[in-house]
Amino acid sequence: MKKALAIILAVVMIITAVPMLLAGCGSESKKLVVGFDSEFPPYGYKDDNGEYTGFDLEVAEAVCKELGWELVKQPIDWNSKDMELNSGTIDCIWNGFTIQGREDDYTFSKPYVDNSQVVVVKKGSDIKSLGDLKGKVVAVQDDSSALEALTGEDATDANKKLCASFKELQKLADYNNALMNLDAGSVDAVCMDIGVASYNIKNNADKYTQLSDIISTEQYGIGFKKGNTELKDTVEGALDKVVESGKFTELAEKYELQDAVCLGK
Amino acid sequence: MNLLEIKNIKKSFGDLEVLKDISISVAEGEVVSILGPSGSGKSTLLRCATMLETMDSGSLIYCGENAATDVNGKSVYAPKKDLKRIQNYFGLVFQNFNLFPHYTVLKNITDAPVHVQKRDKEEVEKEAMALLKQMGIEDKFDYYPSQLSGGQQQRVAIARALAMNPKLLFFDEPTSALDPELTSEILRVLRDLAAEKMTMVIVTHEIEFARNVSDRVIFMDEGYIVEQGAPEKVIDNPDNDRVRAFLAKIK
Amino acid sequence: MKKRPVIAVFVFAALLVPALFASCSGISGSDVNWFMGVVYQLSNGMWASLLLFGCTILFSMPLGLLVCFARRSRFKVIELITKFYISIMRGTPLMLQLLVVYFAPYYIFKISLSSEYRTYAAIIGFALNYAAYFAEIYRSGIEAVPKGHHEAAKVLGYSKSQTFIKIVFPQMVRHTLPPVTNEIITLVKDTSLAFAIAYIDMFKIAKELSAQQSNIMPLFVAGLFYYIFNFVVSFVMGKIEKRAKRYE
Repeated sequence: MKKALAIILAVVMIITAVPMLLAGCGSESKKLVVGFDSEFPPYGYKDDNGEYTGFDLEVAEAVCKELGWELVKQPIDWNSKDMELNSGTIDCIWNGFTIQGREDDYTFSKPYVDNSQVVVVKKGSDIKSLGDLKGKVVAVQDDSSALEALTGEDATDANKKLCASFKELQKLADYNNALMNLDAGSVDAVCMDIGVASYNIKNNADKYTQLSDIISTEQYGIGFKKGNTELKDTVEGALDKVVESGKFTELAEKYELQDAVCLGK
Repeated sequence: MNLLEIKNIKKSFGDLEVLKDISISVAEGEVVSILGPSGSGKSTLLRCATMLETMDSGSLIYCGENAATDVNGKSVYAPKKDLKRIQNYFGLVFQNFNLFPHYTVLKNITDAPVHVQKRDKEEVEKEAMALLKQMGIEDKFDYYPSQLSGGQQQRVAIARALAMNPKLLFFDEPTSALDPELTSEILRVLRDLAAEKMTMVIVTHEIEFARNVSDRVIFMDEGYIVEQGAPEKVIDNPDNDRVRAFLAKIK
Repeated sequence: MKKRPVIAVFVFAALLVPALFASCSGISGSDVNWFMGVVYQLSNGMWASLLLFGCTILFSMPLGLLVCFARRSRFKVIELITKFYISIMRGTPLMLQLLVVYFAPYYIFKISLSSEYRTYAAIIGFALNYAAYFAEIYRSGIEAVPKGHHEAAKVLGYSKSQTFIKIVFPQMVRHTLPPVTNEIITLVKDTSLAFAIAYIDMFKIAKELSAQQSNIMPLFVAGLFYYIFNFVVSFVMGKIEKRAKRYE
């Protein structure tokens, strides 16, 4: 009995020790580990075959090909993104990552998408403009650009006033959850990135519609650990080549983001 | 030679002195009953004798071998190895049987002889069946304890103790967890054992039981032995007032 | 044999619930391909969930026994340390513990982490957490064995380890089966918490499918998986419990 326990203990210790050792060495060929939210179409999501894909990931793939690196697609819990980046488990966040308001926390590449925050409501809803949101329940993704645009330090006075007119601003875990709430009627409107909105409206044209009023405009960039300009410059250089080759625009068209991208024009 | 010698045992729990200088010797083939009111220390005495409790001072000797020796008023126990051997000299039957619920009757009896005494399994099983027959419950060998009556469980417990081939058997209130009509079952078993010259020490509060089975009765009160002798003498014609008072209350 | 129809009813009911939701949300019953596609993708994630589940059981149950011994140690220091460990494991969210196990090597020792470590960290985190719960369950089981059984064993000459293995352990197992079953069922569902450190389990895949299809149904299919899994667990544990109860 004692022996058995000793063996079990030893196994546990070895299993604990192995990854520590692995962490030390490894990575012979250069890898780029991209952290992304895999529930964020069209920038990063799972396709019908169960593979991770999306506009950002395909551009990252092209960039890695340019550099001769291997791309590792690492889905992460959005709430843990800072810990993941700082501890080095991912090299960058490349996932419709808004620059505005985060300039001090990350080293950003130059913007590649100009993204606006829009409002999605149920089709046939009586909400036609931002003014109609007064007294309504509005949902945003927690820790998202929409939330930043409405309540963040850099929010415009107009947006702060708009936010104050809501009955309630609900923070939800992800966009899908927010849209489920919209379906169920527990929220009246959802603020989100225009790209995500277009994707969901395209899939459910009979269910959702988008207000023509825009809450804010913002830009997407690739986020690196603060101070890691070396990696940033390398990736940016390769990105430029991908843009020059026309591959970037081709991918933007594939994901119907040609209106949003701000490179290659 | 005496099978058991207890000399000048003292035992306290905290400030409470439970045993105050008790000496008893038990000869081979003798049946000794220990009587006394609750709180008199008789159970503690039994627990000290069976080494379930360590005594503060005094010595404990089985078959001439020292389990504990009194050194300057402190009991010093023999090395573990010796105690293990000495342990084989005696068995104990508990008030509430303490059979192992997950073992069958037969396994309850044979497990310790086979795995502790390392005896041949077949031989032990044959012996166990003979013991069960002697107890009148040989048909219950594959039952679990929960399927038996209290009297049957106590008989299994006695068989379990006997299977270890002890020279001396202790009983701790063997009938007090049983219905009165079942007491006679156990009494019959004890008398059979006495007839076979089994040495026994029985802690009980049943006067009739003590009178019927024992050669000698020891009466304890407040940590002392107040009277001892033949059952007729101690039970029917005691010298001590306290014994008399206790017996009057019981009757 | 009599039980078969009962099982069929449960499974049928479990299948019916998502089917009803499906019909409400306008997916026709003939869309079998869609359903099979979701099931196929989820079953890939099921392996990750099963791996985490299996390894957690494999390590936490013996580790729990060890913790239980330490908790019952005669040495006050060991007892206190164990008590503290158990109170932390039970008193803080499992998700936080997973984050600590995964990120602590970097934040405390500045060891850069490999991505493979996620799987190990998830297993370590779960095993440490569940060991604490199992330890307390075992302790209650050990303490439920009457003192008299220890004494009977001692008088019969059993050594300490013989007493534990032959007398105490089997009775402890019997006493602790119902709460252990509870913990195992909770564990099946808790595995989805591992995504806090980006361990991709079945529920994460269900959420991804849900986001990709802008459709809630994959979550219900995942629920069906969990239900069936737990149904099997309950069934197996019920059998074991019945066997252990035979001497009562």
